[in-house]
Amino acid sequence: MPSVETGNLTKIYGKNRALDNVSFQVEDGEIFGLLGPNGAGKTTLIRILTTILLPTSGSARVAGYDVLSHPSRVRRLIGVVSQAMTSDLDLTARENLNVYGQFFEIPKRERLEKVEYLLDIVGLLEHGNELVASYSGGMRRRLEIARGLIHKPRILFLDEPTIGLDPQSRLVVWDLIRRFIKEDNITLFLTTHYMEEAETICNRIAIIDSGKIVALDSPERLKQEIPGSDVIELRLSGITNGIADSLLAIPGVREVALNGLIAKINLDNGAHLLPAIIDELRKYDVAIEDISMRQLTLEDVFIRYTGKSIRDEEIKKVSYFIGAGVPRRM
Amino acid sequence: MRTIAIIKRDLKKFFRNPLIIIVSILMPMIYLIVVGNTVQGELKNLPVVLVDMDRGPYATRVIELVRAIEAGPKTIRVFYMSNPERAIEDVKQGKYAGALIIPEGFSRDVIRSQGAELGLFMDNIDIISANAVHASVLAAVPFLTKEHISVRVDTTRPILKSVELSRKIDYDQSLVPGVVVMAVFMGALSTGVFNLIMDRFLGIHESYLVTPLNKMDIVLGLIVSGLILTTGIAVIVFAASSMLTGIFMFLGLSTYIMIIALIILTSLGLLGLMFILLGRADHPRIVGVFGGFLNVILFFPSGAIYPVASFPGWLQVFAKVNPEAYAVHALRSLMFRGGDIAAIRSDLIFLALFTTAVLTIAIVTFKRRL
Ligand SMILES: Nc1ncnc2c1ncn2[C@@H]1O[C@H](COP(=O)(O)OP(=O)(O)OP(=O)(O)O)[C@@H](O)[C@H]1O
Ligand SMILES: [Mg+2]
Repeated sequence: MPSVETGNLTKIYGKNRALDNVSFQVEDGEIFGLLGPNGAGKTTLIRILTTILLPTSGSARVAGYDVLSHPSRVRRLIGVVSQAMTSDLDLTARENLNVYGQFFEIPKRERLEKVEYLLDIVGLLEHGNELVASYSGGMRRRLEIARGLIHKPRILFLDEPTIGLDPQSRLVVWDLIRRFIKEDNITLFLTTHYMEEAETICNRIAIIDSGKIVALDSPERLKQEIPGSDVIELRLSGITNGIADSLLAIPGVREVALNGLIAKINLDNGAHLLPAIIDELRKYDVAIEDISMRQLTLEDVFIRYTGKSIRDEEIKKVSYFIGAGVPRRM
Repeated sequence: MRTIAIIKRDLKKFFRNPLIIIVSILMPMIYLIVVGNTVQGELKNLPVVLVDMDRGPYATRVIELVRAIEAGPKTIRVFYMSNPERAIEDVKQGKYAGALIIPEGFSRDVIRSQGAELGLFMDNIDIISANAVHASVLAAVPFLTKEHISVRVDTTRPILKSVELSRKIDYDQSLVPGVVVMAVFMGALSTGVFNLIMDRFLGIHESYLVTPLNKMDIVLGLIVSGLILTTGIAVIVFAASSMLTGIFMFLGLSTYIMIIALIILTSLGLLGLMFILLGRADHPRIVGVFGGFLNVILFFPSGAIYPVASFPGWLQVFAKVNPEAYAVHALRSLMFRGGDIAAIRSDLIFLALFTTAVLTIAIVTFKRRL
């Protein structure tokens, strides 16, 4: 039985299609990543799956239950770490976990033990009695991950769990998540903007853009769909007609894209072919001002599917009458 | 367990940030001090209708005494009418603050010492003026007996209310019930649904919407924690304002219990009302603006500072559905008249129905999703 299954899920805000006929499945025990530019609809999708937002049309099943007809069943089986920080600032970490455990009706003794265990694991045991208001972003995030796991969920939803964290905290967070998943065989549904993170942790990745899923596969297969295994980027002193064609003629060069004075070359085995490329450019009498070579990453896949331009985002209406107060990430 | 978790969480948060509680206590107190000292409470020219069905010598004496009040302290203005039913009907409609009816055979009964009865009917909604009319008429009656009859006549019975109640209530003291109800209002506005609005504002509510909490857990949890705080606030204000205005009479345990029960009922009603009105708000600024507005709408037409009967008609109609008006009336009866359930039965019935209705609506209309 799939952990998550959606059928033609659509969410419309006014004229804006935040989700447009989204259909996919996440298998049990899978680590599933959802990537997409800002405003693509990731949070909207997670909110529908976690039963706090109604879709305009379409269906979704989570942990075997329909989110529309059996939301309370679903809520018992999922853990959620929202994009925005949602731990209670006026409570201590210990109280936050304890209250949350009570919401899930975990018996007292088991709950108190679990709270201590989780605090220990996320490294907050020492600060467990301090108000969350005094925490740093990383501490708060760790607390929220612990909170999402207090009732042993079958599926954990993480909406950009590492956003705004420094590299150390990000490493810690991913470590934690990996550990929990191994221990309890939890299905993980996550969104992130950090491609390397997605690439290393996810079994499968869906790329979503303007509410539509534009690609869905394992990270390796997604990369294979792009020609070549490496990328060489060159900044040239000038561009002459025919450069692109003669570079393409080199065996192993798969794709050449010119953008102003920048040439981006997708190729197999870049280290090997670099001399040939430099030789070829000599024929045209253009100098190489800068050169870089790297392996193809998920980011290339991402940019290929979602383009380079910043999306025209439909923005949410805020009240000019009352004022929005804090900027909210919705 | 889930509901209790919410209650405990809320109380903990409030006691960590006691500012709101302190303000809710101080505001009604300051109001009492300021209004009590600026508005001077002597009521004048309250219309009283007099029906003389006796036309005997003692009836004339009563009329003279009443006229003396009209001419002297000017508390009342006397109108005459011959039909007692019309007079009572007019009082019920609020045209007169009271009707003094001298029944047939009154003089005869006084002379024969047969327990003469005077009838004083008052608009029981219009408590301040009723009290004033009551007190002045009652003060006049002893003269009737003392100066002219040596026989002891039980003329206290005719007055509808018992003698202890005639103790003069000064204006500051008469404000206390209103001030207590204002404390309930302040408490209901700054606890209960307010916590939900703050959670929304801070984005915290998303975290409990994804848990198994149902509508009832959330709404009742918030309302019960609000109820505990609001009751506490109102009881403190009741005690402090009673002391401040020097009412400290001993009302008897059962009356105190009834006062607290009334505070609880009123708090529940107002907490539920706030939940309905503000249940979708997501910004504390809305509460600020709306709260001030609501306070004016509910408090001033409640009869707390000015008799309802003196309101224009449309405002009187509003007073009939204003829970604070019933609460003020009931509290006033309990404080100044003792624990007579009959006097506040209709208030209790209204408040109970109101509270049931608003709580039901609050739970049903609560939006469980974003
Ligand atoms: N409450 C709302 N009312 C109107 N439009 C909304 C609302 N919430 C989201 N949107 C719009 O729906 C679209 C999808 O938003 P969503 O938050 O799901 O994007 P996202 O992929 O999570 O973006 P980000 O990476 O910035 O978190 C955006 O265009 C957004 O402006
Ligand atoms: Mg988002």
